[in-house]
Amino acid sequence: MPTLTIDNQQVTVPDGNTVFEAAEQLGIVVPHFCYHHALGAVGACRMCAVTVVEGSMPGMKMSCMTPAEEGMVVETGTAQAEGFREHVGEWLMTNHPHDCPVCDEGGECQLQEMTIASGHGLRNYRGNKRTYQNQDLGPYVAQEMNRCIQCYRCVRTYQDYCGGRDFGAMGSRQRVFFGRFRDGMLESDFSGNIVDVCPTGVLTDKTFRFKTRLWDLEQAPSICPHCSLGCATVPGGRYRELQRVVSGVNLQTNGHFICDRGRFGSGYVNHPARPRHARAGGSRVSVTDAVDSLLRRISETVSQHGPEAVAMVGSGRASLEANLLLRQWAAELNCPPPVFELHPRRARAIRQTVGTLSDHLASLRQVRKSDLVVVFGADPLAEAPMLALALRQVVRAGGRVVVLDPRPVELPCEFEHHPLTQEKILCLLAGNCEKELFNRLLQDLMAARRPVLVGGGDLLGGVGLQLLGHLTESCDNDDRYCLVHPLLPQANSFGAGLLEGPEQTDLLERLESGRVRALICLESDPCSEHPEAGRMQLAISRLDYLAVFDYLPTHATKRADLLLPTTTPVEGDGVFINNEGRMQAFARVLQPGVPLAVTGQGNHPPREFVPATPGCHPRPAWQLLQQVLGDERTLHGLRQAAAEHESRLEGLSDLQPGGEGLRVMPSSQAPVEESTVEIWSQDGDLRLLPVQVRYGSDHASCLSDKLTPRMTGPQLIVHPQEAEKRQLKAGETVLLKTAQGTFRFPLACDERVVRGRVIVPCLPGTPLEILVPGGLSLPCEIEGEAP
Amino acid sequence: MAELLTAEQIDQFRAHIAHIEHPRELIIDLLRAVQDKHGWVPDEGVELVAGLLGLTPLEVEEIATFYYKIYRRPVGRYPIHICDSICCWSRGGEALAEHLQKSLDIAPGETSADGLFTLLPTCCLGVCGRAPAMMIGRESYGPLNNEDVDRVLAELRQEAQA
Ligand code: SF4
Ligand code: SF4
Ligand code: FES
Repeated sequence: MPTLTIDNQQVTVPDGNTVFEAAEQLGIVVPHFCYHHALGAVGACRMCAVTVVEGSMPGMKMSCMTPAEEGMVVETGTAQAEGFREHVGEWLMTNHPHDCPVCDEGGECQLQEMTIASGHGLRNYRGNKRTYQNQDLGPYVAQEMNRCIQCYRCVRTYQDYCGGRDFGAMGSRQRVFFGRFRDGMLESDFSGNIVDVCPTGVLTDKTFRFKTRLWDLEQAPSICPHCSLGCATVPGGRYRELQRVVSGVNLQTNGHFICDRGRFGSGYVNHPARPRHARAGGSRVSVTDAVDSLLRRISETVSQHGPEAVAMVGSGRASLEANLLLRQWAAELNCPPPVFELHPRRARAIRQTVGTLSDHLASLRQVRKSDLVVVFGADPLAEAPMLALALRQVVRAGGRVVVLDPRPVELPCEFEHHPLTQEKILCLLAGNCEKELFNRLLQDLMAARRPVLVGGGDLLGGVGLQLLGHLTESCDNDDRYCLVHPLLPQANSFGAGLLEGPEQTDLLERLESGRVRALICLESDPCSEHPEAGRMQLAISRLDYLAVFDYLPTHATKRADLLLPTTTPVEGDGVFINNEGRMQAFARVLQPGVPLAVTGQGNHPPREFVPATPGCHPRPAWQLLQQVLGDERTLHGLRQAAAEHESRLEGLSDLQPGGEGLRVMPSSQAPVEESTVEIWSQDGDLRLLPVQVRYGSDHASCLSDKLTPRMTGPQLIVHPQEAEKRQLKAGETVLLKTAQGTFRFPLACDERVVRGRVIVPCLPGTPLEILVPGGLSLPCEIEGEAP
Repeated sequence: MAELLTAEQIDQFRAHIAHIEHPRELIIDLLRAVQDKHGWVPDEGVELVAGLLGLTPLEVEEIATFYYKIYRRPVGRYPIHICDSICCWSRGGEALAEHLQKSLDIAPGETSADGLFTLLPTCCLGVCGRAPAMMIGRESYGPLNNEDVDRVLAELRQEAQA
């Protein structure tokens, strides 16, 4: 821990830090381009010059390349260093066009900032500037090569950090070019990050092009809602339209980057079909009237049929606060506590995560730092994309990644894939089959220094995660834990799971039998989330009363007798708890309202003079529930009370949006034992496994038109031998027969799929939505279409 | 498109690739083989090399475009690399380049009307001891004066006719 003096201020930094990082710790920003926290220093741009006055190598040095030493004295403002930096600024500007007024980077441009910081103001160069022909990099990233300053950050991000192989540096000297071999969409699922790292206007967000200057943009720190990892984001919008999402920084979770699903998946916020008005019995009413009518109907139901006749459903999409208030309401009515996850098998996976695994959970940062990660039943790019990037960092640092999964898993790094059925994976974890593989993995895990097990909640279910918990414990030793990183279905599944009472698997039966007369859904859609969607739809249609709080247009909002529109996570404050039990607060970015782009349809918005903003009625669900409960606490008060009441939420009220968040306390309760029946329950030679896919499987991103170019249509994937056995060919349309019905879809073959399984994507909004992931595989048959 | 590598060459490279740990290190060899056969490396050549090595076309292109002696555009039969660096300048290199341009009636980067010569100024050929110098194919020439240049060009023209 050397102590050094920079600009007459002393600072002590960790071993291995550079002078640049030491200065940063003092709040001194040395002008720089090529250095980036996630990418490290390469000493390429020569902008970060400082003068080492005392030290083992005195003189002018590049601060990003100079290790901090004990007793070193550094000055950042000597005439020599300043003069040098000014020249670097000047020569970088020789080729840079003076087009800031039409450049999308303007206002948030590191080149603008650093050129000014370097002191270079007047151009002396009068020659021609180097010019390029731009490429079309697809719908997400715009390229304007003339602005390039050759810092190589884009390539270091795209290739080195993210593992993309279709974008790189070409040419040499004055003609270095950053792009693709040919025009076309960038292939990496993390392509948008090059927009964030490019310090100039070469690479900008094409979907945000010419929309808003930084100083007009409404922004706030938020949490990505598209999977359970809870990456830090900074959404930005204007004119009531959510216009872009950039990565936030949280070193414990995503680090500096996010995936393209998170970045381009927020179109649901602007979606024209979003519920915007409170509705009661088919007509528009004010929010207050809606709440009054809700209260009246519920109390009628309770008085006529008893509290058992009211059922409530919370969700992993709703904030912790809203779920808490829903539970409170149930308690006040004395009706059964809410069900927080409609899919019973998924609910068990969440329960095991929240309980059994809670003292062994690994953050995404801990995954990145691991030397051996074994993934059981998960497809990271589909279920938690940034996990795939974390696994790449494991491999880059010399570690190993092993994946046991029936799907054709792809990762942006080298890894070992064992195609095993879901049943085999469970059986292996139980020590009943694949013993050789199991013993080998066990040995490697014992020997590893920082082992992590990843468990896909959807494939493993509660029993699998419980077995995974036993495995981590048996791999612990005196020096370290073996950690586990479970994947859950939604952004706040952990938070919802924390509130879950004793298991309730009979909601559907209670609905069907007519015992439940009124159902209240909080940001959840039973018809597309329950594994028996058909039965659920029928049961719901028989209800006396369906009340729905939601911000997405769903089956439930369509059928609701009472609808209260809520805000999306970017239009309100709240807390989500991610898959490792990290509580993270998000802040309001925009006020709700129909975007001008929608009301004006590209023209001037209608010239109506009304006092209220169009579409401004949605309110945060927790506020609506407070209104229901007559609760007048502030959000802070609410969080404080929750933390006092529930000891695992300690620190909840201190959370700040944009911070690192806080882990919930480990569970102190005895683990719930799961039934192991399902391990032996699958048979038949061909079975169907509905799974999440990279784009379009989560209920929000499937409504984001920006993601359309990345969406793959519905298809069935099998091992080529399964196709051959049935005389079917890849590409042909086949019939898929299941208990849920018969479907016609194209067939795809992939050698990496396990034998005996048909992989089918779950795509809400298509006929395939009734095949909900998270269950065991289903019996099925495929055959060619009748001639 | 003419054949870029013979079936025999492809088999040989495949066998070689199967034996080495980092096939990537053969990028230049493969590109040169394509160039020797075809005169320059078209897009299809980059894709062929990428396919053989298990790389993406971009990964091959990054290397191909870095080296100025891999030609990614059509060149004459005899590309002339004329040294464009300080040692040659100090020994009359600029005048020599001028002379080449006049006698071939082309500007730097262009190909002569007969399709024989392309003039490519190149920063340092590494034969400073023989400045001013030029390089044609894999042979370097120097020190050169105008008459030497005329003689070399005449010889090559003759060779081309034969
Ligand atoms: S495109 Fe941007 S990030 Fe890439 S080298 Fe140029 S300036 Fe740097
Ligand atoms: S990994 Fe998940 S949480 Fe992170 S940005 Fe992507 S979708 Fe969002
Ligand atoms: S930041 Fe130090 S050389 Fe670029």
